[in-house]
Amino acid sequence: MNFLNLGLGELLGLVSAISAGVVALYLLDRSKRRQIVATLRFWSAADVRTELKHRRRIQQPWSLLLQLLSLALLLTAIAGPQLGIFDASGRDHVIVLDTSAWMGSRTNGTGGPGVLMDQAKANARAYLRSIPRYDRVMLVRADALATPATAFESNRGVLESAIQQSQAGASALNLSQALEFAQRAQKLQGQRAGEIVFIGAGRVSEEEAGLSALPTNLRVVSTSSALENLGLRKVGLRRSPSAPDSWDIFVVVRNYGLRPQSVDLGLQFSKSPAGSRRMTLRPGAEDQASFTYAAKSGGFLEARLNVRDAFSQDDRALVELPPQASSHVVVYSSEPQLLRPLFAANPQVDAIFESPDKFDPAVKADVVVLDRFIPPAAPRAASIYIQPPAAGSPVPVRSTRTGIRLDTWHAETTLGAGLRTRDVTLDLAEVFSPATGDITVAETSAGPVIVARASEPKLVVIGFHPGRGSMKYELATPLLFANTLRWMVPGAFRRWEFQAGTVGSVNVPVEKGAKLGDIRVLDEANRSLPFTVDDNNLRFFSGAPGTVRVQMGDREMVYSLTLPDVGEAVWRVPPGVRKGIPKAVLGDAAPRDLWPWLALLGGMGLLADWLLYGRSRAFRLRAAGAISPQWKKVTQWRKAS
Amino acid sequence: MPEPLLDTRLLERLERLTIQWRNSLPGLVGGHNTSRFAGAGQEFLDHRQFHHGDDLRAVNWRAFLRLDRLFLKMFHLEPRIPVRIMVDVSKSMETGESSKFDYARKLAAALCYVGLVRLDSICLQPFSGKLHDAFTASGGRHRFQPAMNFLTGLKPAGQTNFLECSRQFCSKYPQRGLTLVISDFLDDRDCEKPIQYLADFGHELILMQVWADEDREPPWEGELELEDAETGQKVELAFDRDARAQYTAAFDAHAAHIRTVAERNNGRYVGIPSSAPIEQAIFGPLVKSGAVA
Repeated sequence: MNFLNLGLGELLGLVSAISAGVVALYLLDRSKRRQIVATLRFWSAADVRTELKHRRRIQQPWSLLLQLLSLALLLTAIAGPQLGIFDASGRDHVIVLDTSAWMGSRTNGTGGPGVLMDQAKANARAYLRSIPRYDRVMLVRADALATPATAFESNRGVLESAIQQSQAGASALNLSQALEFAQRAQKLQGQRAGEIVFIGAGRVSEEEAGLSALPTNLRVVSTSSALENLGLRKVGLRRSPSAPDSWDIFVVVRNYGLRPQSVDLGLQFSKSPAGSRRMTLRPGAEDQASFTYAAKSGGFLEARLNVRDAFSQDDRALVELPPQASSHVVVYSSEPQLLRPLFAANPQVDAIFESPDKFDPAVKADVVVLDRFIPPAAPRAASIYIQPPAAGSPVPVRSTRTGIRLDTWHAETTLGAGLRTRDVTLDLAEVFSPATGDITVAETSAGPVIVARASEPKLVVIGFHPGRGSMKYELATPLLFANTLRWMVPGAFRRWEFQAGTVGSVNVPVEKGAKLGDIRVLDEANRSLPFTVDDNNLRFFSGAPGTVRVQMGDREMVYSLTLPDVGEAVWRVPPGVRKGIPKAVLGDAAPRDLWPWLALLGGMGLLADWLLYGRSRAFRLRAAGAISPQWKKVTQWRKAS
Repeated sequence: MPEPLLDTRLLERLERLTIQWRNSLPGLVGGHNTSRFAGAGQEFLDHRQFHHGDDLRAVNWRAFLRLDRLFLKMFHLEPRIPVRIMVDVSKSMETGESSKFDYARKLAAALCYVGLVRLDSICLQPFSGKLHDAFTASGGRHRFQPAMNFLTGLKPAGQTNFLECSRQFCSKYPQRGLTLVISDFLDDRDCEKPIQYLADFGHELILMQVWADEDREPPWEGELELEDAETGQKVELAFDRDARAQYTAAFDAHAAHIRTVAERNNGRYVGIPSSAPIEQAIFGPLVKSGAVA
């Protein structure tokens, strides 16, 4: 016998307290009440006994006993007693429910229609029914991360609800981590460890396929997972280095099944065919297909495998590509032929040459180049002044020198990065007096000859003509303009790389010398994601499908993590591990509740007390019309309450 | 200053009432109830033979001219008889949630006022174990205030001995009159004998029994320790609904017995619960019984 709601001590204490109260009320109810009356003559005539001086303290001991017994029965019923062998402590089981992406695949017909997840849920419910009702169970949803859905819970309704709400995710199963989590949970929170039950397909990475370091109390309830599947693993895109208008596209396809498969891979850009390839893959093999597609405009690139397999989620990938960006430059020069080669060398620059008399301060351009003249009004866009006249130069001209040697390039600045010249003498050069905050890019012995100002709009002043003299033949000259334009219009010169991949952990190679402070990893809502950089390798984790952008200086990688991560192999369960759902209830038979019977007895006791000693007796006797002498004798002392 | 027993509004209503008696009682001229006795009245009663010495103004001259014999006309006497109000001031009148004693005083004051307005002679006679000092008022309503003061000054005390009081009453007031008894009639001894005693001495009786609700239907239940308000005698008992019903039946039987005794002696009986408003008691059961009209 055990009590479900109250301990024995609590029950006894409660019964004692209430019994004491009942006895006190009983005695109080039957205590004498003093009254002064006008006469006693009618009282003696009222058929009541008046010889009470030697009566007992408790007038109706059977009534009191009946009341106390009934109350004790009712309180015991409230305590919830149960009859039967009872394992009060119960055991703590952990159900590790596989919620990896693979669980969303269609069943092969053996488990009925639906997906593997439905089978796993049914198995989990069956396991719940097979264990004793007082055992506690924790449900852990396992994919790339092990997430507890419930604490150790004996309420089967809560567990069933948590099982029902479980859905296949988008990441692959990390089995070792899930089992380790279950062990830790049993150790830290459990009282008496039960089983760790893995329920799922067990589609894991190749490293975990032979996982054998397992908990001794592991039970595996497998769902049928021998399914054929072909899927996209990765889609990568980047602008072709040789042809900036083109995209280099590579697609990785994997055969997860057990048979060789041939499949047609098709590409579409903005719903137009962009390429196709027939691929034949061995079981468990990956193959890569490369494409080149010329497109300046933006749009969606879709890679699709034309196959009908069990897992359709990885048969299609979609990547949004931006239009090719270019910077619009207007050059005001009376000698455009000197500057034309500098801008024509860069395909991302769209340069227009105009004579100085056509200068318009509100011209629509990203950059305005002013060759040896000062406009009546400063341009509203970023501007490059080449040998500006001393009167009117935005950066004051300190002096004008001839035959002066260019001594120093400030390679530590963004504009001077990678620039170098040897023995370059400038025929005519203006030496500037930079203000505080101005950036000196190149310097002679007389002073700065190239100065940049990070004002709004930005401006750069060059004290010599790059198309004249010895600088005309220096490699530093186009690089100087490229650096200047990248500094002024960074978006137009950003390097983009796109990849459609699987959710989960993503590794990104980091260029040597990249500053950690410049690296940012942003999700779709522009929120920073945590990441680590180790040995020129950036790693971040995304548990849900979405787009993640990794910015490193002028390089930006966009990861469209929309492909589900599917484990490459099926876990081979080592021999000796318990399998399937236990048939018999473990431990004991279900105890029987006693509270309904106790409540019934208690209620009957109170009813009997009311009928025998309470007011109902007066009603009954009055209805009967007469009181038999025997009853009259017995009930001469009737309760007043 | 104690609150007056009767308010002005009630007094105004009482002015239209008259204390009524049924018996023909001898008394001085000036009353308002006719008597079977012949005397100086306005209402014709009978004829008789003329005797020497009779008042010639009462001779029926028409009959003499027709019959040639002298007949004397007789008239109903309207005597002025004494009205005595016996007020029970025993300790038992003090019991009950609504005090019977106060109620009895108010009732006595109201009847006193009614009588004074009709120029009756009112005697207020308190009693318990014996007759206490009485107060007599007559001569109109302006004598009412001393009567009120007298009633206000009464205190409940003593044990009821109605028989002894009846004897003393008959000795003290040999002239027959209207006697109103305001009491709870809860004397441990039988009330029949003193009532009969008063009636036998020729007093016309109006018995007004005042009871508290607790007297007739005790509200208590369970074990009770009861103490007699007058004797101090105690008794312990258990009381329930059945016992209450039997108690009430006994009380009603007692009241019915008093009524029977009163009516048997050509008297009247009025039972009034002290929870009823005094005005309702006067203009209800008291008027209905004919004690006042």
